[in-house]
Amino acid sequence: MSIKKIIRKWVTTAMAVGLVSVSNSILAEDWAKIEANAKKEGALLVYSTTSRTAKAAKVFSAKHGIAVEVIRLKEQDLIQRAYQEAASGVQKVDMIVAEDWVAARELLANTGYFVNYVPPTARELFPKRHQNPLVLGYINRVFGYNTDKHSSGNPFKSVWDLTTDEFKGRVMIRDVAITGEHQNALTEWVRRSDELADAYQRRFGKPLVMTEANAGLEFIKRFLQNDPIIMTSDTKISKAVGAAGQENPPYGMFYVYSKHRDKALKDLRITDNRQVDPTLGYYYPIVLQLAAKAPHPNAAKMFMEYLGTIEGFAPWADSPGVYTPNPNQVPFEGDKPFSWWEKKMWYYDLDFAAANRGIVLDTWLKYAQR
Amino acid sequence: MRTIYNRFRIGLTPQRVLSVVFLIALGYLVIFPLFLMAKETFIVHPLERFQIPGSSIGDLTLSHWIRSFVSENSFTFFYRPLLNTLQIAFGLSFLALLIGGTLAWLVVRTDIPMKNIITNAAIIPYIMPSWTLALAWIALFKNERIGGDQGIFTALTGVSTPDWFAYGLFPITITLALHYFPFGFMLIGGALRNIDAQLEESAELLGASRMATLRRIVIPLVLPAIFSTFLLTFSRGLGTFGTPAFLGGPVREFVLSTSLYANLIGGRPGIGYLAALAMIVLGVLVLYMDHKIIGTRRSYVTISGKGARAGLVALGRWRWPIASLLMGSILAVIVVPLGALAIDTFMLRPGLYSWENFTWHYWIGEASLSVGLGTGEPGILRNPELMSALGNTMKLAVVVALITGILGVLVGYAIVRMRGSWVSQALDQLSFLPYLMPSIALGAIFLAMFAVPRWPFPSLHGTFTLLVIACVVSYLPYAVKAGVSAIRQIGPELEEAAIMTGASWWTRMHRVIIPIQKSTYFSGLLLPFISVTRELSLLILLVTPTAQLATTITLRYTDRGWYPYTNGMVLLLVVIVVTCTIMSRRLMGTNIAKGLGG
Repeated sequence: MSIKKIIRKWVTTAMAVGLVSVSNSILAEDWAKIEANAKKEGALLVYSTTSRTAKAAKVFSAKHGIAVEVIRLKEQDLIQRAYQEAASGVQKVDMIVAEDWVAARELLANTGYFVNYVPPTARELFPKRHQNPLVLGYINRVFGYNTDKHSSGNPFKSVWDLTTDEFKGRVMIRDVAITGEHQNALTEWVRRSDELADAYQRRFGKPLVMTEANAGLEFIKRFLQNDPIIMTSDTKISKAVGAAGQENPPYGMFYVYSKHRDKALKDLRITDNRQVDPTLGYYYPIVLQLAAKAPHPNAAKMFMEYLGTIEGFAPWADSPGVYTPNPNQVPFEGDKPFSWWEKKMWYYDLDFAAANRGIVLDTWLKYAQR
Repeated sequence: MRTIYNRFRIGLTPQRVLSVVFLIALGYLVIFPLFLMAKETFIVHPLERFQIPGSSIGDLTLSHWIRSFVSENSFTFFYRPLLNTLQIAFGLSFLALLIGGTLAWLVVRTDIPMKNIITNAAIIPYIMPSWTLALAWIALFKNERIGGDQGIFTALTGVSTPDWFAYGLFPITITLALHYFPFGFMLIGGALRNIDAQLEESAELLGASRMATLRRIVIPLVLPAIFSTFLLTFSRGLGTFGTPAFLGGPVREFVLSTSLYANLIGGRPGIGYLAALAMIVLGVLVLYMDHKIIGTRRSYVTISGKGARAGLVALGRWRWPIASLLMGSILAVIVVPLGALAIDTFMLRPGLYSWENFTWHYWIGEASLSVGLGTGEPGILRNPELMSALGNTMKLAVVVALITGILGVLVGYAIVRMRGSWVSQALDQLSFLPYLMPSIALGAIFLAMFAVPRWPFPSLHGTFTLLVIACVVSYLPYAVKAGVSAIRQIGPELEEAAIMTGASWWTRMHRVIIPIQKSTYFSGLLLPFISVTRELSLLILLVTPTAQLATTITLRYTDRGWYPYTNGMVLLLVVIVVTCTIMSRRLMGTNIAKGLGG
């Protein structure tokens, strides 16, 4: 290594270090300014799909003296409402805690009504892929069964089992027509049709014969023709599946795993199936977005920062099935870390989902009515 | 020039001013939203973009219409729910007529004992929220299909109910009929009471058999009331949401109202509003048929005593058995469902019926994450969220009852005093229109109308005002009906006498017109009041989590599986409404039947 090179290296390193420290100091300064302004701004308005945001807000308010009003809305309702208000110029909301990023990205982010913001803790600790959009946490949805009836283990090993006679009229799922995330998840079954068809071959030893365009849609058709029970909430599903004293309990498909936190309390005999070919369910992010014309942008930024910390995430951390990208969080006792689930479950491709969820929904509606 | 102005000024009578104001207001609140809704069915909405490839938000499109009416899937998307809706509406109307008519005949035309008690008890099913019976049906007859705890029937007998009996069109029709038969009872009962006894006596003198009299004289005379009942129950059946949602969902049998709801919740208003339009068209069709067959619109019969009473049919030794059977069935329809709901509120762990499991927790317990369902919600009576919802409901009920009551008198006044002019007719028809609109469709209309700022209103989305507007428009027909029939009975000479003494219009109203028909007006108030307290279909789309109502919060708690709270709230509502009804009857001499039929 020549002297020149060494010097050059030194210089670049020094410059890099300098840059980092400069940007850090700018950030630190910015943050102090944000905090100072936030206190002046006053009450913050948040739309959220999860009720636990209100719990976090309570502690946040007590700590920082910034009042937070949290309005809980259903996922589709939140997106539509935020969109309509922004489009008609009466945006009062400061930030959203939203699900169904496929729709939210399309209607709220791409339109410029909401912007991504990465507060200090998230920027420092969260892996890059969880920063845009900023992820509060991931939720997983699983297949489950009653452990009283199936004490010896998994009653099914493939998703295709759910289309067989044995499961006729026994599988519960939240209505896909009102669940955007289900629609997104099922587009992945379309995108990975070949893998799904392979799973069929593995299960039955013969190739899948289709009348629909691909294995994903074929599954939707066969699943609905097998008389599933369409429910309105995951709570009801977990309760129906897990209630004690049932001779012929139903099975749950795609209900949120966090419902298992009630197991002891409600005496639910329920567990999730961890050997389903080709996917154990799916996971999806809860995202935080800042309103472009937020009346209280600094207060919103502070609350977003808070939600990224261990303390701010506490209301979600008391159950399985919710995973913050913050690496310092210890997983819930008995639950696997997100890195484990991530490998066993399918997510979805945002662009593909946006382009195909209409087809998925139409196929669902077509066969859902008896 | 001056004379024209003078003529105009003199012509500016209160009834004319009122008519014009109301015509404009009703046009704005009833006709305009209809157009708006129709327009929405041609537009690509935000989330619909995903289903219409290559479109962008706000584009004009025919695809909603094509999809619903002429695509390869339109049978499943539209016609099937339509057929289900019609099946339910016809079945329920027929049953309600049969039950209500029989009951009315027994009470009015026979010497059956306990008439008063039967008459009062028979109205209670109508006072309860319509989906109370659906919830009770599920508690009683649910089978293993929807999993969870056993239904009471299965727990007692060990017999599992078949799916068609536990869920779907059959129980929907039955439970709705049991809710709406009081319509038939009140209207047909009123008509029967008004039949001039001489007609029947003449028939008897001419040697007609009892059957022949019934067929040739009584039924034709009661026919208008029968059609009115049919019209009423049919249009309610089209628009009802709660019952089909609870009972149809588990077996995936959808009706127009549930598909409208799913489409609106799922962000597809273009398709959703088409279902709403279809419901309105059906309602108008029924009215048209009614008009064609009967010839007169709304030929409801006045429910008031007539001098000559026909001799009562003697039931002989069947008197008491029939009376007990009647009382038994009516009580069963009231007590069994309410009892089933009540028991559930005292069971710490749902579905476990034993004394050890008895608790007051769901009524007065502290918030807890470890007791019972562990909802983290305090008991109903100390739960701020539930109590504020109940408070909102009561506030809404009172405000709506007052406003509709006043509007009813004023519109009624304008209609009666302007009789014979096109204005009177237009006003009459317009104020009746909401009556034909299925509740959930009407809710959808107001959502489309006021979700965005619309002159002169700001965006009313999620506000109390919007709820008031929706309720007032929806119940206006009842109030106007009460107003018209009350004013009609006041001869103009009374008012003219007051004018001679120099009384202003205001004095005439509050010193003459209103005091004379006080009880009729209050009856007109009572019906909106009761309706608001148990309204779900109309408001489900308009309520937002910031201002919940007792009924909508109940639905939300049901979704979370918190049945003890849900059931307790329903019970509270029923108790409140029944108490109010009885009290107003005692204090004001009100009568629901009057508010309903005129």
